[in-house]
Amino acid sequence: MNTDGRHAIEVEHLTVSYHSKPALLDISVKIEKDLLVGVIGPNGAGKSTFIKAILGFVKPDIGNVLINGKNAQKAKGEVAYVPQRGAVDWDFPITVEEVALMGRYQKIPWYTNPKKRDHDAALEALEMVRMQDFANRQIGELSGGQQQRVFMARALAQGSKILLLDEPFAGVDAATERAILDVLERAKQSGKTLVVVHHDLSTAAEYFDQLILIKQRMFAYGPPHTVLNEELLSQVYEGRLRIFSDLLKKEGEKA
Amino acid sequence: MILYDLFISPLTETYFQKALIGGCIVATVAGVVGCLVVLRRMAFLGDALSHAMIAGVAGGYLVMKMLFGAEAHATGMLLGSLFAAIATVALISFVSRISRVKEDTAIGIMYTGIFALGVVAVSIFRQYIHIDLMHFIMGDILGVADQDLWVSAFVAATVLSILILFFRHFQVATFDPIMAASIGLPVLLIDYLLTTCVSLVVVSAVSMVGVILVVGLLITPAATAYLLSDRLDRMMMLAALFGTTSVIGGLYLCVWLDSAGGGAVMLFCTLQFLVVLAVAPKYGLFARWMRLKKLVPQQTVEDVLTTILRYGKATPVSVIRQYAEESKGMRKVLENMVENNLITAEAEGYSLTEEGNKEASKVLRAHRLWEAYLATIGTPREELHPTAHQLEHITDGNTVEYLDEKLGHPSHDPHGRHMG
Repeated sequence: MNTDGRHAIEVEHLTVSYHSKPALLDISVKIEKDLLVGVIGPNGAGKSTFIKAILGFVKPDIGNVLINGKNAQKAKGEVAYVPQRGAVDWDFPITVEEVALMGRYQKIPWYTNPKKRDHDAALEALEMVRMQDFANRQIGELSGGQQQRVFMARALAQGSKILLLDEPFAGVDAATERAILDVLERAKQSGKTLVVVHHDLSTAAEYFDQLILIKQRMFAYGPPHTVLNEELLSQVYEGRLRIFSDLLKKEGEKA
Repeated sequence: MILYDLFISPLTETYFQKALIGGCIVATVAGVVGCLVVLRRMAFLGDALSHAMIAGVAGGYLVMKMLFGAEAHATGMLLGSLFAAIATVALISFVSRISRVKEDTAIGIMYTGIFALGVVAVSIFRQYIHIDLMHFIMGDILGVADQDLWVSAFVAATVLSILILFFRHFQVATFDPIMAASIGLPVLLIDYLLTTCVSLVVVSAVSMVGVILVVGLLITPAATAYLLSDRLDRMMMLAALFGTTSVIGGLYLCVWLDSAGGGAVMLFCTLQFLVVLAVAPKYGLFARWMRLKKLVPQQTVEDVLTTILRYGKATPVSVIRQYAEESKGMRKVLENMVENNLITAEAEGYSLTEEGNKEASKVLRAHRLWEAYLATIGTPREELHPTAHQLEHITDGNTVEYLDEKLGHPSHDPHGRHMG
């Protein structure tokens, strides 16, 4: 596969299955650099699996994932990951600063302790998400939005050009959603590519430059106004389109 | 003199010295590795490994005796136990992966099965191998052999070195395995390494506290430390400390009461946990109870706020009592609100701070919107106020905005007052 350096992530014919059930089927997409991309689709559509395949955590049955032109299995650390809030053990004995410091682990040789510059980098990342005042708190003591920002800081401390976020807006209030979006926007401006799993169609058009619509198969990739069209959504969301009719009208007026 | 008899004289006995040294070594390393076991919710696995061991010990004994004629060869039995432990883990994951049987059931099946195999083997070959089943099940910390001491020292040194060297690896792989894999850490290998470490520790601890109690030595000190620390490194150090104190306290207990050694150690360990559970400053029961006691009902707080706002000036307690419910805890509520900087206490009564004013206006607005809404759905006028008074405490911001929008952003409530 030829790469011209314009694409951060290239996915080719990606198929992943769990116990003979296909989670993803023949997904091909090229994501350009410096974009904020939303991944949408109903529950169980394979959105998280898609993210894990890009991370190289899930091995594809067939197909390739290229990160900056390199195979995902070999491009370790070039992609930073922000887990879904439900996937984290919030009672784990770990402080905010230690989580941010994890972002530096790849750069620390196994035989030494983290140096001052590593701690500095972790604190700097916390400052970027405005969480430096909470550095010594245990992570379970934070609010939902603050927890999300700590993991953003960890991803920023990794210094990766590509960030993958699994449902960062799930279960946070509107003000927090703004604050997180603000961090995402600033990350994008500093030259990062962000791929975000998102479940709320009503905000998808407003937040993202490009949308990927998947449900096992790839249904669309492109700017929001082309992806959020009635025919596509009715295919993917089947009978539940009624709730989106308002949204489509709104999008229609804009387009 | 009594003190000397109680504390110093046991120390002069060789059996006590050996028990103390061996027990402390084992408890230290068990506590440290136990932290990871607790955080990964693998406690049941520790139990499984210790039970599976007997088959390994019997197997190792038999093989060494048949092949080399060596009697009770320690290394042979150690390797046999390790082999049995790893086989158990492999069988468990195999069964839970390929069948619909869930992991906890698979653990239960496999460890009892392999334990039974060991018991049968030991009894069939009782002419060849001399293993005291009772010793194996109950342990004998007061009869520690020099050989056991060396084995446990070696195991402790190995396992502690591994855990300290790869501390960060274990930390990330436990906390966030997906992230660990994404930065190129061999997560599966780390899991196997940890299981091997746990097996080693279990194997070296069984001769002291026995099959049944070994899992307690693994998880109880770690759980005790878990209640006291918010960092993994500190949790590990505390767990090592608690493991050591259990052994010391338990051994004295056992000498004083003339009881079984392993039982006394675990009893002391459990009591230690219960004490910490009660008094831990952050995660203890007492602290929790104090927090709950300090908690004041949000509804009363909001009632006080709106009362003061409506009164318009410094409000005496008697007026507040009239309007806000819950009269008996009122003093506590007011103190708490002053502490939280919502109101200030003056000679004439209580006034709102800026923040208190903001909160009060929010509640009052909610109240009036609810009244307006209730009026539109035909609620009788005399029920407007009491019903709205209940509903105003729904704190979710979206609800109020929904009402506002639905009512078309009214400027006045049904009583003709400004919405605010």
